[in-house]
Amino acid sequence: MEVSRRTFIKTTLIGGAGVTVFGFSLAPVYAQTQGLKIARTTETRSTCPYCSVSCGVIIHTLGDKAKNVIPQVVHVEGDPDHPINRGTLCPKGASLQQDIVNERRLLKPQVRRPGATDWEDISWDNAIDEIARWTKKTRDATFIDKDKNGYTVNRLETIGWIGGCTDTNELNFLAVKSMRSLGVCYFETQARV
Amino acid sequence: MSEWWDKQIQRADYLAPRANGAKELLNFYAHLLRAQRDIYEFLRSRRGWLPSGELECDLPVLLDALPEFLKAIQSHGPESLAAEAHDLSETDTQVMTERLMMYWRNSSDIQFFEKALLQPYLRWVFCGGNPQVSFLKNKETTAESGNRDLICATCLSSWEFRRVVCANCGEERPAKLGYFHSPEFDHVRIEACETCKHYLKGVDLTRAGFAAPIVDEIDAAPLDLWAREHGYTKIELNLVGV
Repeated sequence: MEVSRRTFIKTTLIGGAGVTVFGFSLAPVYAQTQGLKIARTTETRSTCPYCSVSCGVIIHTLGDKAKNVIPQVVHVEGDPDHPINRGTLCPKGASLQQDIVNERRLLKPQVRRPGATDWEDISWDNAIDEIARWTKKTRDATFIDKDKNGYTVNRLETIGWIGGCTDTNELNFLAVKSMRSLGVCYFETQARV
Repeated sequence: MSEWWDKQIQRADYLAPRANGAKELLNFYAHLLRAQRDIYEFLRSRRGWLPSGELECDLPVLLDALPEFLKAIQSHGPESLAAEAHDLSETDTQVMTERLMMYWRNSSDIQFFEKALLQPYLRWVFCGGNPQVSFLKNKETTAESGNRDLICATCLSSWEFRRVVCANCGEERPAKLGYFHSPEFDHVRIEACETCKHYLKGVDLTRAGFAAPIVDEIDAAPLDLWAREHGYTKIELNLVGV
């Protein structure tokens, strides 16, 4: 009988064990297959957010694509096909996985009062209220509408903004719009990529 | 280049006694590799002769190595292969000539004798065939991640290939490409594509630098059965038919 590739594969599946197209018994192989613990990962190409070099990275995500499973990032490595870094990463980039999955990550706002040494938890509502109150008070007291020569400048030099390199485009867009509308000059989003 | 064959043989000899499900496959493959190395040495050591790259011209020389090769398969192959090897040894070489030429024009991964006999000859040639296996290996000295290469199932040459791309259909969307691992085979994984439902195995030499991809691929045969049970088809069967 002529054995086609399709027939062979079909036989293997239906028989559970069967033989290969060249006559090898698959029974012991099949027995080992039954005990395998298989995990699925996905590899996603991305860009390191830390600096303006913009190294390519590959993010490994564990999860079998089931709807009730939250994918988990298990590894981040340099992308060997990326023309900038060719698989290499600096120590910060090499630790990117810990930026994504980290038990020390802050999940709620905190405040350190003037003169205090410790941070204390604060609710989102209270944090937003306090930021709004202090911003208005500071701006009302120190806003500069004209410089010493009488030119209109509309500057606020007593408030600054420091962003983080992992901030998203959307967050940085809002930061620029809101800070510029207040007159903030000392403004840094750390947007490098 | 003989060292290349020796490395594959040593790896097969090392893995075979330690293998679980693939012991028989590896034992045979070690013998097959020895027979192929002998063919390679036979071709290489011929005075004043180099492969022309045109099989039709080179066949008379290659067929001189056929009898020894068939003897090896008769001695160590499974019943069906041994019987076919016996039949071929008693058949006119014209039959094998025609079979080899047919394979050369239109190769198939279920033609054992043609593929196994041509592999040593094709070490001089790049054939452009399907990949058997992929492997990851550091190419930048300061990189921890591995570049991906594919090994041709027919001529055993390797060529560079991008990491997150299906080797069968070129799919690049991450969600369509699945990588399946098992702790039992720490450095071998299934690289599967949801678009074309094909897969090949990948051997990570950054985790196990002493591995030989085409041999370790056979050792991890249980992963193949798992992949088939889950609806994936291998791009190209290897020389034990897995």
